[in-house]
Amino acid sequence: MDAPHDRPHVPGPPFVPGDAAPLLELRRVTKSYQPEGDAPPLAVLRDASLLVRKGEAVAIIGPSGSGKSTLLNVVGTLDRPDAGEVWLDGQNLAGLDDDALAAVRRDRVGFVFQSHHLLPHCTVLENVLVPVLAGHPAAPAAAIERARALLERVGLSGRIDHLPGRLSGGERQRVALVRALVPSPALLLADEPTGALDAASAREVGRLLREVNQRDGVTLLVVTHSRELAASLGRILEMRDGQLVPA
Amino acid sequence: MNPLRLVLRGLAFHARSHLGVVAGSAVATAVLVGAMVVGDSLKAELRRRALLRLGPVVAAHDGRDRFLATSGTNIGAPRPGWAAVVRLPGMVARQDGSARANRVQVLGIDDAFLALGGPARPGLPTDDGVWLNVALAARLGAKEGDALVVRLHKPGALSMDASVSPRDDASVALRARVERILADADGGAFDLSVGHGETLNAFVRRDLLQRVSGLGDRANVLLHAAASGAGGTVTDDAQAAAEAAARRVQSEATLDDMELAVRVVRPPVNQTGGEPAPVAVELATRRIFLEEPVARAALATRPAGIEPQPVATYLVNTLRSGDRMTPYSMVAATRAPGVPADLREDEVVVNDWLANDLGVAPGATLAMTYYEADSAARLVERTNVFRVRAVVPLRGPWADRTLMPEFPGLSKAESTHDWDAGFDLVHKIRDQDEAYWKQWRGTPKAWVHPATGVRLWSNRFGSWTAVRWNVPEGQDADALAATVARSIREGLQPAQVGLAMRPVRSEALNGAATGTAQMFVGLFIGFSLFLIVSALLLTSLLFRFGIEQRAGEVGILLALGWKPAKVRRLFLGEGALLAWVAMVPGVALGLGYARGILWGLNHAWSDAIAGLGVRFEPGVGAAAGGAGAGALVGLMALAWTLRGLARRPARELLNEGAGGAAAQPMPGSTRALRVPWTALLFTSGVALIALGWRADEAARPGLFFGAGALVMAGSLAALRGAWAKPRRRVEGLSLGGLAWRSPGRRPGRSLATVTLLASATFLIVALAAFRLEARREAGRRSGGTGGFTHWVETALPVAQDVRTEKGRDAVGLAAVGVEGVEMVPVRVRDGDDASCLNLSKAARPRLLGVDPAALATRGSFTFAAWAKGVDPKAGWRCLEALGSDDAIPVVGDMASIQYALQRRVGDVLELEDGQGKPMRVRLVGAVRNSTLQGSLVMSEEAFRRRFPGESGWRMFWLEAPLARHDAVGKAWSQALRDQGGEVTATVARLDRFNAVQNTYLGTFQVLGGLGLLLGSAGLGIVVLRNVHERRGELAILRAMGFATRRVRRLVLWEHVALVLNGLGLGMASAWIAVAPVTLGPGGSGLPWGTLGPVLGLVLVNGLAWTWLATRWSCRGGLLQALRGE
Repeated sequence: MDAPHDRPHVPGPPFVPGDAAPLLELRRVTKSYQPEGDAPPLAVLRDASLLVRKGEAVAIIGPSGSGKSTLLNVVGTLDRPDAGEVWLDGQNLAGLDDDALAAVRRDRVGFVFQSHHLLPHCTVLENVLVPVLAGHPAAPAAAIERARALLERVGLSGRIDHLPGRLSGGERQRVALVRALVPSPALLLADEPTGALDAASAREVGRLLREVNQRDGVTLLVVTHSRELAASLGRILEMRDGQLVPA
Repeated sequence: MNPLRLVLRGLAFHARSHLGVVAGSAVATAVLVGAMVVGDSLKAELRRRALLRLGPVVAAHDGRDRFLATSGTNIGAPRPGWAAVVRLPGMVARQDGSARANRVQVLGIDDAFLALGGPARPGLPTDDGVWLNVALAARLGAKEGDALVVRLHKPGALSMDASVSPRDDASVALRARVERILADADGGAFDLSVGHGETLNAFVRRDLLQRVSGLGDRANVLLHAAASGAGGTVTDDAQAAAEAAARRVQSEATLDDMELAVRVVRPPVNQTGGEPAPVAVELATRRIFLEEPVARAALATRPAGIEPQPVATYLVNTLRSGDRMTPYSMVAATRAPGVPADLREDEVVVNDWLANDLGVAPGATLAMTYYEADSAARLVERTNVFRVRAVVPLRGPWADRTLMPEFPGLSKAESTHDWDAGFDLVHKIRDQDEAYWKQWRGTPKAWVHPATGVRLWSNRFGSWTAVRWNVPEGQDADALAATVARSIREGLQPAQVGLAMRPVRSEALNGAATGTAQMFVGLFIGFSLFLIVSALLLTSLLFRFGIEQRAGEVGILLALGWKPAKVRRLFLGEGALLAWVAMVPGVALGLGYARGILWGLNHAWSDAIAGLGVRFEPGVGAAAGGAGAGALVGLMALAWTLRGLARRPARELLNEGAGGAAAQPMPGSTRALRVPWTALLFTSGVALIALGWRADEAARPGLFFGAGALVMAGSLAALRGAWAKPRRRVEGLSLGGLAWRSPGRRPGRSLATVTLLASATFLIVALAAFRLEARREAGRRSGGTGGFTHWVETALPVAQDVRTEKGRDAVGLAAVGVEGVEMVPVRVRDGDDASCLNLSKAARPRLLGVDPAALATRGSFTFAAWAKGVDPKAGWRCLEALGSDDAIPVVGDMASIQYALQRRVGDVLELEDGQGKPMRVRLVGAVRNSTLQGSLVMSEEAFRRRFPGESGWRMFWLEAPLARHDAVGKAWSQALRDQGGEVTATVARLDRFNAVQNTYLGTFQVLGGLGLLLGSAGLGIVVLRNVHERRGELAILRAMGFATRRVRRLVLWEHVALVLNGLGLGMASAWIAVAPVTLGPGGSGLPWGTLGPVLGLVLVNGLAWTWLATRWSCRGGLLQALRGE
């Protein structure tokens, strides 16, 4: 088995392409929730705006309930804003229907969550190929090749036939990361990716995220409570009063 | 705080999630309670019917053709608690001919009958009146005051099969007005046979019936009622009364009751030519021939050393010598006084009248022709040649007219012109013959050796017409007669001549308790088993879901130091309380369920219980038993559910909680075991199939059913293995592939669902294959009709052989009724209906006597099973062979043997023959699904031997050309009208029997359907639960870009795969199970016409539940799911 600490260390500082084209832009996005009872609507995002360029790695921090995950869900088209616009790679997502939004997620966005949600009856390799099936009737050979390569990169080549039940938490999260990368997304959204991991596993996942960003040019938007992880990324924004401000 | 408190807290806190468990357990309890209550109600109804038929009667003698005396000191004389009844077969018609009922019991009753078991009730029918029971009145549409004609069989002293039995007065008609419709409770339903079928009774005065039937004071039925028996229960008193009655008859019955008489024969001198004839004591019988036990007892009687002399006097057709012939003479075979002691068997002594008539002298040759004694139907004439040993004068001992028995039709005739000899007098009766009759009557003209008499005239009725003891000079003849009578009576048990009381009440109640009704209950529970298992699986699933939600709780208990076994016990305590709580709604539901089933049985499914109207009679025992059994099986199911609880580490349980529990890969050891198990199940199934092909038809269905079940179990095991098997090749990974393997994440849950659906399908397909269609059988000789088209039954016997032209002429059967028609006449000994239409256990089945050769030549019916040692090649000829134990071979319908008689092929039944002697019959073979249901068939030869009193034929099986089907039926119906002939199409008869099985199947299919509903509900719950547990996963798929409808489709396909697996496995296994029915001889495949839509409904039902559950589960909540809420 390839232990995480055997992997070559990727040196800092983070790569920030200041002249790169914008990939993601939020323009005055507002999102409110209606709490139970007669309480007034709870505004989570208030005219929040954000510009993320291609290849950038952005960490979003803030206290619990500040709207970080809501922001990520709006960016990832899992939720729609009440007002404002979300532009991805030059396309305004506001007018798209559910199918078109699903296609956006399928082709351009990858997700990593705190809870890995792997299919327990599928092997590691099968799990990472599942996103491919969103656009293909069966996994193409190229996707399989890419999946194997990515699993090898994250040190799981020896576990590809294992079921998730036999993996450690860190290994499962690495599988979830590979699953998000297999479709080659332009934007990788990670919501507390290290939240449920021990320190060593968290470090390893953080390292992999940076490697993905730096080696593959995948744009990162990471919501985290981890100062260490945030500090290792290129830009840190803080969610405060429903708006994003530099930390 | 103690564990019980913890249990109660748990119950209270999780009450909502336990509701489903209680409901499931209650359903299982309800089904068990319902089945038991239905069984109890059925048995109670049969018991009530049995008691209604018997009233207060606890013991009875049914003499049929034997008539005991009812006067003086005879056993049938009036006595409290006893009644003598005349019971004769007959038919009743409205005088205007608008309605007719055949096979009616015409009962001659007196006050004693009405007084049985209670205070005397006033009134009897008048001489011109008749009482009808409700069923007969309904059949005739008769009411009080209506004019009817009652035609009944007039019992003769001799069987109509005897050559010398009179032909002319076999039946007698009474014209009577209906005076009363006798309610069943007032004795209207009176019937001694075991069963609940409709009985048609016509009651007339006993003295009237005795008068018109020439019975004198005789009756053939003796009843005894227990004084305390009116309550309807067989008390010890009633049982003891029956036994006492039986003892009384054996000890007190007189020779007169046995139709025997000992008399002093003292021919007057003026009748013996002026020379005295010796005085003798004679034993004779009104049945003409002395039965074998009687003759044996008589010949063993030697009062004062006097040797008994057997006598056989017979009517011969001709005595010839050269060209001279004397017609119709009596010839005696006896060692009469004066007959040379050294008379040889081929010698004859003639009187001088005959010697003169024929011109013979000692040394001359004399030819004697006579009809075989019991060949009335065909009149087989034999000739024997004798040498005249001596010529004796016609006076003194040679002029003893008392040697001629009281041949009915002859003995009372004043002239030869008045003779009714039982056959046509084809030889001219000359003046001298008439003169001889007038002067000497039946005085024998010739004497032969006793052994010759036995050889020539011995028959199934007996060998001797009398036994005599010559009274020595100076001895008191009357005293000797008394001594002889006493001695014979001591040496003869009444039971030996069929005079015995049977404990009819206990027989009837036993039949009601152990008959098909009992089997129905067993079958009902058996077929409800699926419903019960479905409910339990559902209970188990719900309980498991509840426990899984509490995985954290389990983890905490473990973390706190509880041992896993203790944790399991804690949860089992909750389960036990739930099962106990479920008993209350279970019993209530069960009673409702029983009411519903009984309603069905009284209406749509009434064929299953032969129209028996059953009341709802829940017994405390049935309800308590069902509730207890329900709670027990419920608890067992819950214990089974808990078997794996608390085996996982506390940390894992604490971390994952119930919802997030990851599927546990199958342990290596389990996987290693599963393959041999699967192989073993498949191999066993295949082995059973191989065995089934070689087994006889009786064993085959069981083996194939077993094979089907094993293959299904093997397939399910293989399916589980396939779900668990990791994929080696990732190429070709597809959404469909994912859907296929998804059930493997919760293999137990998925397997339970597939098992439910597969079992339901198995049941439905298998039951459909066993549906019987009589039309398919029509016209095939190997089929259930035997190739016969008509089934003719008469109320009165037909003595003439309708296979002969003479016989047909005698009954007036038109040519259209016989041209191109093949017929098999059948002799009938009435008995209990041993068909599936009788829910009571048949104690004395109806017996039929047929010519085995006729059926063998035709190849009628198909044998389903043979007894060991019987050569199947023999076919119907098996009836002709006698086993080493002298048991008479009989063949029955498989259903009759299995259900009505509750026996197996090869068994020996202890019955009684016509003389009341024990008769053993061996079930040598069974035919499949036939019109023979209800009876056992023996060879005609054996029948005639064992039932000499049963005259003629009462049944005819006809095979008519299709084009003349109706014309033939009409011709027979008209010809046998006076005999109460009833013609039924065999297809209709078979349909009646089939309706029972088909209705059973229908009933059980409904139970299967109910089980399927539960199975579908289980499927829906599984889908909901699966989807609920995987909301995070499914949300991730949507986050990855899967369109919502695609995610839905994935979930749908996963569960559709379960439905299809269940249907497929169930159908394939059922196909194997019913292969003998569908592929065997006469098989016509599965009835896809009816089966297709049913299975389609199963599929649609499964898909609908899946779709609904998928829609409901996949709605909204994506973000919450992702957040793991």
